[in-house]
Amino acid sequence: METFLQQLANGLTIGSMFALVALGYTMVYGVMRLINFAHGDMVAAAAFVGLTVYTQVMGQATSLFAVVAIFLLTAGLMACVGVILERVAYRPLRTAPRLSAVVSALGASLVIQNGIMLIWGPRMRIFPELVPQQFWNFGGVVISLIQVLILVISLVLMVALYLFIEKTRMGAAIRASSIDQDAARLMGINVNSIIALIFIIGSSLGAIGGLFIGLYYRGITFNMGWQYGLYAFIAAILGGIGNIPGAMLGGMLLGLFSAFISGYVSSTWADAFTFMLLIFILIVRPTGLLGERVAEKV
Amino acid sequence: MKNLTVTVVSIFLVVMAILPHFLDARWQTVAVTFLIFSVVALSQDIVLGKAGMFNMGQAMFFGMGAYITAILNYHYDWPILATIPVAIIVPVLFGILLAAPIVHLRGDYLLVVTIGFNIVFVQVLINNLGGVTGGPNGIFGIDPMRLLGFELSSQLAIYYFAFIVLLLTLGIMFNLEKSKVGRALHYLREDPLAAESIGINTRLYKIFAFGLGAGLAGLAGTVFATQYSAVSPEAFEFIQSVLFFSIVLVGGSSIPGVILGVFVMFVVPEIFREFATWRFFVFGFAMIIMMILRPRGIWPATFGKIPKFLIKDTKHGA
Repeated sequence: METFLQQLANGLTIGSMFALVALGYTMVYGVMRLINFAHGDMVAAAAFVGLTVYTQVMGQATSLFAVVAIFLLTAGLMACVGVILERVAYRPLRTAPRLSAVVSALGASLVIQNGIMLIWGPRMRIFPELVPQQFWNFGGVVISLIQVLILVISLVLMVALYLFIEKTRMGAAIRASSIDQDAARLMGINVNSIIALIFIIGSSLGAIGGLFIGLYYRGITFNMGWQYGLYAFIAAILGGIGNIPGAMLGGMLLGLFSAFISGYVSSTWADAFTFMLLIFILIVRPTGLLGERVAEKV
Repeated sequence: MKNLTVTVVSIFLVVMAILPHFLDARWQTVAVTFLIFSVVALSQDIVLGKAGMFNMGQAMFFGMGAYITAILNYHYDWPILATIPVAIIVPVLFGILLAAPIVHLRGDYLLVVTIGFNIVFVQVLINNLGGVTGGPNGIFGIDPMRLLGFELSSQLAIYYFAFIVLLLTLGIMFNLEKSKVGRALHYLREDPLAAESIGINTRLYKIFAFGLGAGLAGLAGTVFATQYSAVSPEAFEFIQSVLFFSIVLVGGSSIPGVILGVFVMFVVPEIFREFATWRFFVFGFAMIIMMILRPRGIWPATFGKIPKFLIKDTKHGA
């Protein structure tokens, strides 16, 4: 029972980080039908940018104000990078064959990943202790302040995003663009700005996810983007790619799944089990848990 | 265009046949690697370029061949050449078995599933399943090739071994284009529904393409294991699959294009060794720029003898 509760807490923490990152994948896929392979590396880059903002801009301060400023600055910077990425690597290929855009995304991923390596070096860096190390012990189940913060902030962000997408005019424009870009354009929606907006939201949420990864795991490496990116991407597929609540649900479920596998089976096999789950889901229900069945000309 | 391809490939083969005699030991090693990776990239081209399936797990079949040779030789003392049939057949069987439930999946989903296969495969190797894969360190000390009592351990011998495998692969590729199978693959890539409706068993041909690609990659794996007399999991990580995937598309999925892609990806970095850390940074940019300037690749594949005026605008084809 203790293991169960402990893994439940861990799973929800990792799950909310996956969900934050998965939102970036799913929103871009929803509108552009493109797997943004560079998103995982953007997440990794955010952790390094956060590190530099902490040491260079904030002078290693860890007051509440400083921490909030680090998060906002990093998210803002990464949003700019996201817009540039879309402008340079994806917009020129919007009418090109699908595979050309995939190769461009892979290229962008290599550029960002190796850009991190060239700037911050190939070795593992330790992320600063921005949040006090506070632990609570509930009958053997240990929960840290970091875990609580990650879970609460992620939930708040996700609810806010959900309301934004469902209740505002801009959200309606995003939904319209993801159903049919051409029809949306005819209705007077500027699809280019919608895509830019999606990259702003996706990249800044991903950036916060990246900072959480830094806070939670402490060690950050230049090539960690692929690993977390793949997990988040699986989460997006699990929930039904292109579906925003699906990405949140998928992230949580995937976090719980990998935590329970590590807790009860073995952590060395966690990746293999996760991918087998992915393969299984894609075979039996390719549209994911919340995805709609789309009739499509193959 | 067709004649140009034949001429270019012929000249390339003649040059490659005499090339190793003009190279020193280091460049001979590079040349062998170039040949092996060309075979893997061409095998990827069968699945991705010819059949149009988004496969991002070709390094798995490559690794399977390499590991089978290593395991049979190291643990069971099989001669290298005797392992070849097994190193081809097992990847073919896995190719068929794994492809059968997934070939109906749409492009992006297929891509993700094949990434999944590749990652599970590497985890199996690292976790030393069955105690024969040697875990994260892999297997060291594979015997040199022996033929009729002669030991063929020089780089030159391995070079010609790899060269023969490349010739075989090219033979298959050229034949494929002229055969019924090749035409069927071409149709089902262009429009699977139309192919199905004129009586092509698309499922069968897709699985066939996977099996054939897997077999060739497995054979290349044997050569790889022989060259380094060692195998380890990181050589078959899924990032390798990403490279093969990109090579085929940047090259344009024609034979000269794919070989050119391998040359740029694996030989050019050897020339600019002092800039090794910049390698992937530069390649990433090159991939983006290449796709913007030539979305169909450096040397796009052409097919058959269809007159120009019959070919519709295929901009949205792939």
